[in-house]
Amino acid sequence: MSTLKGVIEIRNLSKSFVVDNDELKILNNINVTFSSGEFISIIGSSGCGKTTLLRIMLGLESDYEGQALVDGEPIEGPGLNRGIVFQDHRLLPWLTVKENIAFGLDKLGRKEKELVVAEHLKLVGLNGFERAYPSQLSGGMAQRVAIARALANRPEILLLDEPLGALDALTRMHMQKELERIWQLEKITMIMVTHDVDEAIYLSDKVVIMSSRPGVIKKIIDIPFARPRDRASSEFIHIKAQILKEFHLGTEYPFAYAI
Amino acid sequence: MYLLKEERVKSMNIRNQIKLRIGSLALPLVLFIVWQFIASQGYILAMILPSPATVFNTLITNITQHDLLLHVAASLKRVIVGFLVGTVSGFALGLFMGLSRTAEKIFAPTFHVIRQVPVIGWIPLIVMWFAIAEVPQIIIISLAAFYPMTLNTFAGVRNVRKEYLELASVNGYKGIKLIRKIIVPSALPSIITGATLSLGMSWGIMMAAEFFIDTSYGIGTRIQAGRSSFNMALVLVGIFTIGLIGYVLTVIIETLGRVVNQGRDVNKEI
Repeated sequence: MSTLKGVIEIRNLSKSFVVDNDELKILNNINVTFSSGEFISIIGSSGCGKTTLLRIMLGLESDYEGQALVDGEPIEGPGLNRGIVFQDHRLLPWLTVKENIAFGLDKLGRKEKELVVAEHLKLVGLNGFERAYPSQLSGGMAQRVAIARALANRPEILLLDEPLGALDALTRMHMQKELERIWQLEKITMIMVTHDVDEAIYLSDKVVIMSSRPGVIKKIIDIPFARPRDRASSEFIHIKAQILKEFHLGTEYPFAYAI
Repeated sequence: MYLLKEERVKSMNIRNQIKLRIGSLALPLVLFIVWQFIASQGYILAMILPSPATVFNTLITNITQHDLLLHVAASLKRVIVGFLVGTVSGFALGLFMGLSRTAEKIFAPTFHVIRQVPVIGWIPLIVMWFAIAEVPQIIIISLAAFYPMTLNTFAGVRNVRKEYLELASVNGYKGIKLIRKIIVPSALPSIITGATLSLGMSWGIMMAAEFFIDTSYGIGTRIQAGRSSFNMALVLVGIFTIGLIGYVLTVIIETLGRVVNQGRDVNKEI
């Protein structure tokens, strides 16, 4: 077994939900390994089970066939080695920004807590907002706080469920840059579910493409090129065309635009 | 002078607030003038509708010679004790039923049948069973406070967003910690609504309790005294006192509610 932290292995995993006495297969025979320190995106149309897969890795879904392992151990419920950022920021409205970030830090002493909170506020660029309440923040700021909260526990793996899905296009691109910077600083495994092909290519080492009914992994595409990535570069556009083709949305001559 | 936009908005707000204050005083003023006018015309016997001056004099003599303030204190004490007993037990039952479906199955049907009986309906029985000093009055008042608190706490606890519970479970929150840090704070706006309603009910039922149960002190007792001696001025003194103190109590609990809710903008919560 490897000694590296933050490795997730999914082996022969299938999951069904019972809807009106009918068994509905959500995930079918999923096999994939996410290595330590990788940034992986999972993309697919709605209903392909990508969020369910993420919830299994988080430990909120049980009752499946096959295996889901974190660092070689089977996942049994949520654990502090895995952090999560939801699509809705899910900040608690009765707590300040500071208290929200400290939400999972109960075991630390007061001083240590202050230190961790300050460090993570700085990481997401929100110094000075300690005492603000979530209702006073913009969508992008709230999502930064949610990222800080998830990272404050020092997880080995950060799971992101369409974390930027509710933001406007420009804030979104800015936050993608921020996510990349945070990932490079923290050096942890990040697994992100997204709808956005550009976002997936911009951020990921690997893009997992899923298709629906039942959810299967259609293809895993490596994205080897250097960061920060240029969304207008020919390699970017080439990979994008390749991914879109998997969704039957490809054009015949992608390079016509690139040249 | 040219004002910045924010300053203009601010000064407008102050102006609007003053307008609002004047606006809310206008109706009482009109009512007072109408009252004074009718009383001074002598169309109606002074015994049935005493003039404002008579009522004011009665108020003064009641304060100086008839211990009105002690009567007020006696009523307030009953209401506060009854309110506390009723809301604390209502909070406990509401929380318990909200947390556990089994508890709901056991308690809810009985609770909903019993609460159909107007609180006043219990007075004869409660006086029979607990005829010791202040106990019957306090039981009646706490029963009135108990229902809204139970219902609103229950609703608040049941409606905690499942997303918050998920977040709590991801961070390892369980048991008492889950209740203290997630469930109760999340239900707080609803619990405060319950407490506000409970206070209104307690204050109203206090009158009934003092009417139906013999006591020597209480505002209700003064109104009863006015009634049996055809002293409508005294009845009106009692009514004004009750209205005014009730209003002050409501303002206090609403302010407390705002303080407890801190920076929460309940309207902005999804």
